[in-house]
Amino acid sequence: MCTLSAYRHSVPSLHDLGGRAEYFAPVGYDPAEPPFHARWEERVFGIVSFVQTSLGKKVDEFRYETEQLPEQQYSSSYFGRWLAALENELERDGHLVAGELDATTTERSSATGRTGARVRAKVTALVLRPLLRPTLPRWMCAYVLPKAFGASRPTLRRAAFTVGDRVRVRPRRGDGHTRQPEYVTGKTGVVTTHHRAAALPDARAVHRREPSQHLYTIAFTGAELWGPAAEEGTEVRIDLYESYLEAG
Amino acid sequence: MSAEHSGIAARVEALEGLLAQKGLIDVESVDRLIDHFTSDVGPLNGAKVIARAWVDAAFKQRLLDDGTKAVAEFGFGGPEGACLVTVENTPTVHNVVVCTLCSCYPWTVLGLPPGWYKSSAYRSRLVAQPRAVLREMGLDIQPEVIVRVWDSSAEARYFVLPMRPAGTAGMGEAELASLVTRDAMIGVARVEGPVA
Repeated sequence: MCTLSAYRHSVPSLHDLGGRAEYFAPVGYDPAEPPFHARWEERVFGIVSFVQTSLGKKVDEFRYETEQLPEQQYSSSYFGRWLAALENELERDGHLVAGELDATTTERSSATGRTGARVRAKVTALVLRPLLRPTLPRWMCAYVLPKAFGASRPTLRRAAFTVGDRVRVRPRRGDGHTRQPEYVTGKTGVVTTHHRAAALPDARAVHRREPSQHLYTIAFTGAELWGPAAEEGTEVRIDLYESYLEAG
Repeated sequence: MSAEHSGIAARVEALEGLLAQKGLIDVESVDRLIDHFTSDVGPLNGAKVIARAWVDAAFKQRLLDDGTKAVAEFGFGGPEGACLVTVENTPTVHNVVVCTLCSCYPWTVLGLPPGWYKSSAYRSRLVAQPRAVLREMGLDIQPEVIVRVWDSSAEARYFVLPMRPAGTAGMGEAELASLVTRDAMIGVARVEGPVA
């Protein structure tokens, strides 16, 4: 199940769906739809949540892992995608040997775990226990958990833009992970919020150390994004990192 | 379909067994994680927050100023909630949330997203044809009302503060909360008033 690196180039934006007419279809809407449809989906969610925590993976790494799946796997099902991404990640990190799981489904397994990872799993189990409660102390929710789960990091750099500025979304550089969708690329919008600076997902996905970046909400009119096809009186607001933007 | 399902179910079971054997997962913690995100965390959290915002103007202001700190007053916090932003529906603006790149969603107030939210149809179309998509989902937005789509792509996780329905003047927080649905907080539905 190893990822073919060639796929990254031939299918660069399998996941980048905004405005892609070939995916347009009625939404299979069910107001009562639960998050899971089968037990295996729950297990995949639980296993991924545990492993990502214990192995200290960033959410960006896992997103990038799913984005690199071959099209058939990416479009199989949501949790099928998670399963494939998890297997690839575990193989890449040497926790699973290629084909090991296939052997297990018929016979027994062979490889042993890594001691460091085993210790981390035990620590994770202990840390999670007091956190998995319906409610937690207010100070923890307001000050501790946002630091643990968010990527906001202060920067000393001056912000290039301010609320009210017109900005254009620059061409994408590179073909790696990014949170810059294709449908806003090259489009002009207006800064409506200046958020706290945050670590750049493009860098975090591949362990590249970079200073954090200013982050802005940009408002685009429907007409700017879609031209004459746009519906009247519609707009899209999206958060974009400073390096995605230039003065517009 | 069912053969494929049982195939993948067997594969997941094998993977779980293998990871447990290698000491890479703690099965009890996996059980707890699933329980937590299906039972403890869900749209009832968000409904309580919305109901309070409807009856308490000072809280509503705190919610609009800093969603994460405001919901912390209820003891709600965790992953996909580090930077919670509340967007308010008004008679002139209707807000609706999507994630075109993956499945970003405000877990701390809404729990885990339903399948349709993660579907390629919703993710591709909502930014381009929001009125048509909402209409098909049963929500007709008047032409004079601006439709504002929030594409969650970075740190912020957006959720909608719906308009309080008519006919609820005498209601308390708990009763109001019972009217608020997950889909109203995503922005694909209205909060309906009490059935007469």
